[in-house]
Amino acid sequence: MEEELNKNQKNSRRQFIKKGLIAGAGVAVGSGLIAAYVDSTAAETGEKVKVLTTGGEIMEVDRGLLKLPRVSREESHKGIPGRKFVMVIDLGKCKNARKCVQACQKGHHLPKSQEFMKVYLLQDSEKTAPYWFPKPCFHCDNPLCVSVCPVGATFKRSDGIVLIDNERCIGCKFCMTGCPYSTRVFAWKHYPEFDVDKEPYSPEASSPGKEGTVSKCDFCPDLIRVGKIPYCASACPMGVIYFGDVDEDTVTNGTETFQFSQLIHDRAGYRYLETLGTRPCVYYLPPVDRQFEVDRGFGDLDENIKERYKDTPYSKKNKP
Amino acid sequence: MELQQKNPLKEFAPQLERTSIQGYAWILFLLMVIGVGVYAFLQQVIHGHEVTGMRDNVVWGVYIVNFIFFMGVSYAGALISGTLHLFKTAWRKPIIRMAEFITIIALLIGPCFILLCIGRLDKLHYLVIFGRIQSPITWDVIAISTDIFGCFIFLYLSLLRDLATLRDYELLQLPNWRKKIYKALALGYTGTPEQQERLNRATDIMAAMVIAIAIIVYSVLAWIFSVTLQPGWHSTIFGPYFVIAAVYSGSAVLILCMWVFRKVYHLEEYITKKHFVSVGVIMLVLAAFFGYFTFSDYLTKWYGSEKNDELLIQLLFKKFYWPFIISNYVGVLLPLLVVGIAKFRTITNITLTSIVVVIALWLNRYIIVVPTLESPYLPIQDSRPEWLNYSATWVEWSLTATGVAVFCLLFTLASKFINIVPVTGLQKEEKKEDILV
Amino acid sequence: MKRVFAFFIFLVSMVSLVLPPLNAYSEEKTDSTAAPAESRLAMAYLCSSDSVILTATLSIKKGESTLALENASIEFTVSTGADSKFLGKAMTNQEGIAVCSFPYTGLPAGTDGMISYTARFTGSDKYPGAESSFHAKPAKIRLSFSIEDSLRILKVTATQKNEKGEEVAIPGETVLIYVPRLFSLLKIGEIALDAKGSGTLEFPKAIVGDTLGNLVVMAKIEEHDKFGFVLGKNTINWGVHKQYYKAEVPSRELWTPIAPLWMIITLLIMLAGVWAHYMYAVYELVMIKRLSKKDKPLF
Repeated sequence: MEEELNKNQKNSRRQFIKKGLIAGAGVAVGSGLIAAYVDSTAAETGEKVKVLTTGGEIMEVDRGLLKLPRVSREESHKGIPGRKFVMVIDLGKCKNARKCVQACQKGHHLPKSQEFMKVYLLQDSEKTAPYWFPKPCFHCDNPLCVSVCPVGATFKRSDGIVLIDNERCIGCKFCMTGCPYSTRVFAWKHYPEFDVDKEPYSPEASSPGKEGTVSKCDFCPDLIRVGKIPYCASACPMGVIYFGDVDEDTVTNGTETFQFSQLIHDRAGYRYLETLGTRPCVYYLPPVDRQFEVDRGFGDLDENIKERYKDTPYSKKNKP
Repeated sequence: MELQQKNPLKEFAPQLERTSIQGYAWILFLLMVIGVGVYAFLQQVIHGHEVTGMRDNVVWGVYIVNFIFFMGVSYAGALISGTLHLFKTAWRKPIIRMAEFITIIALLIGPCFILLCIGRLDKLHYLVIFGRIQSPITWDVIAISTDIFGCFIFLYLSLLRDLATLRDYELLQLPNWRKKIYKALALGYTGTPEQQERLNRATDIMAAMVIAIAIIVYSVLAWIFSVTLQPGWHSTIFGPYFVIAAVYSGSAVLILCMWVFRKVYHLEEYITKKHFVSVGVIMLVLAAFFGYFTFSDYLTKWYGSEKNDELLIQLLFKKFYWPFIISNYVGVLLPLLVVGIAKFRTITNITLTSIVVVIALWLNRYIIVVPTLESPYLPIQDSRPEWLNYSATWVEWSLTATGVAVFCLLFTLASKFINIVPVTGLQKEEKKEDILV
Repeated sequence: MKRVFAFFIFLVSMVSLVLPPLNAYSEEKTDSTAAPAESRLAMAYLCSSDSVILTATLSIKKGESTLALENASIEFTVSTGADSKFLGKAMTNQEGIAVCSFPYTGLPAGTDGMISYTARFTGSDKYPGAESSFHAKPAKIRLSFSIEDSLRILKVTATQKNEKGEEVAIPGETVLIYVPRLFSLLKIGEIALDAKGSGTLEFPKAIVGDTLGNLVVMAKIEEHDKFGFVLGKNTINWGVHKQYYKAEVPSRELWTPIAPLWMIITLLIMLAGVWAHYMYAVYELVMIKRLSKKDKPLF
């Protein structure tokens, strides 16, 4: 009995310590803009939160839309002052678990056919090693998509985020051809998911783009405003995706925190297709010291997802 | 003075006064095609752009191809009519109005295709309200509207003398409202020396302007593609390449128009083999230029072998083999052979060649737009076949047909409104042999 | 008061993030009534410089699904052996979280310095009650800064409250040093405390502070059997001055709202050139019209 109690105590202590750690972080940071720290479970809880009232009634609360602050359209064109966001993706750890894709789709209320985060199976040349390549929007510092937009519907903010104002977008799709990274998606029809958001529109809100307009990965500025890292970063079970303020020289994946410059220096970080001159804000750490074999990425994928990779050189080579 | 000499209008009056049963049948047919197009357009409005074959990778399809094609035809009309006018080419008279009509009609149809491609037509006015000068689309909006204005002025200037003739031709059996229109449009032009001088000066200036604008506008269109980083588009040669391809396609369309109107309105007396050969020679020269530009563009990509250029060229020679061969080999060599060799140089041959050239040039735009979008920097990894490969749906084809039908319809109506061959200062073709004929 | 409130709000939102995943609750009434409800209460403890903060999270488990319970009253008590003191009541929010915070100085002293904290949900007619408790000894960490031989030295001292309520050193523990960042804490070192409960660390050079170089430095004892979670912090201007991103500076780029000057000039020259000619042509047309009026009497 006593042993049981002790064990319980130990467990609860462990739990409290973890929470305390996080709480502590919050205590210190919790002034001004930032109110909270994110835990990886937060993204998994998803957008629909059901709450029991003491009367026994179930209330459905949309966490994503209810809880996150929503700034005005005007404000969302400006950016979060004094910040410049950066993402670092560690290719050595990615095993195509696709939690980033799912969390992003859920968080942004995307229909199944739209993915802001895509995971590619790349192989640079015949004899080089294949690797999984998660690709968000690169939020380039020289964004061609913004340069070619005829109405200023897509714009670069002071915090480096390239955002789309779906109320402004006319759907000419020029930005989609302008982007060399196939980042943008178009709403080819009206999806029921588009009706989720009843609040006044804000480009920052994680609500899906409207029919006939373009949308893309937005670095989740609504989450950033409450001190959380984007859905993809917090959802990744491997901690592949790091996010942070480059001026503060820090990136975190929710559990580990690194000095950005140190990380890039030590791990030979690079930017994808640097030669194009778009100056992305997303850095990659080369796929070295792999934690998983590439094949692990095919693990428990849906058949239609598996289908995607069947024409890659790697899959073709491995065909019996 | 010049109006009193003789009135060749007598010969052209019947086409303005009467429409044959075949004529009505033709118009009805065109309206039916357009009707299907309207239905297709409604489908697109109701169900969204999903009814097209376009998806996230190939975001621009047949609509943009048609846009480039019609704009090209238009600019060609402007360039040919402008150049012929400025050089005072003697044989231009019977065909110059056709070239001008081609310009203005194609110019009205072209932009409609880009509208079909736009997701939110309800926000179109944002292009003006929030226009950003850095975007080539804004340049396009400015350039095309400037071009439409210029071409209308140019067309009007060249119509003025004939409008005055129509106003003054009392035997014309037309309802009064039409006569009133002619009177109003003729601006009281009576051909006094000062009026003539002013008219000539304005026409000369506008001819030069129309040429300049046509070059700029078509380059702007090319820059929409070449300012991006996409393999196959990001090319400095695209501006002049597009201009040449445009004039080339336009010369072929002009020959087709000449053939049709010659047959339908029995203009054998005015439009002779000489005209076909002359425009044919223009087409030959342009074919050579077009071949040269095409060759330079692909040659550098081939030798440079940048990874994505190489993939693109592979795609062109595999999946797009026939369109590639037809547009860049047949479309270049056929006019060289048919017009170049005296023996083959007949009206029928030149016309048939023109048909091939028009198809080749349309395919040329197709293999510029689609293969590039199908081979982006990051390989397309998708399980949905329509996401991987573009193929136009019936909606797109129907609207393409509608574009052609509207072109034909407007041309038919224009030829009913004003004589397709200018009567002022027109002399019957003298049977003087040319070296080329 | 305002500060306390803000603190409360932020703490609530913080702890809300560590909730266990809330699975979709079955809509069918039959399901939810058939399975017996089980109340679960989890408590988190934090001993920060001058206060203790307790956070209780209440959830109801029914069958496979777990839901937060809103608007439930949670009672907090503190006890040392036989002595028990009622601290207060707090209501849970939408995410089932209730928070209680009280000053460090008001804590009673236990026999071995250990204090136990309890959160209790008394239960309602629909849900059973639940309780969660936690034992810890109050402790404190102090940070001080000095420059010795041109080296920047950070010194931490950790103390605990003994039975008499006196503060005595904590020897031999490991203290982790962090700098708080936008989303998380950046670890900059570890200090092993000596017998006097203090230790030092050479402060790293390339840590970015605010624009004036100010840095908040935090020292923590984590996962300790006796002290639980202890936090101390202080501010020093040893950081690298933060350089703001220059995005606000370029105003005339290809991607900015306003176009580069020469692009506008080029466009204007071209447009002016073309439209001037148009105007001229239209002017000639107007003149032709005028001439006709003048000529009319002649006919």
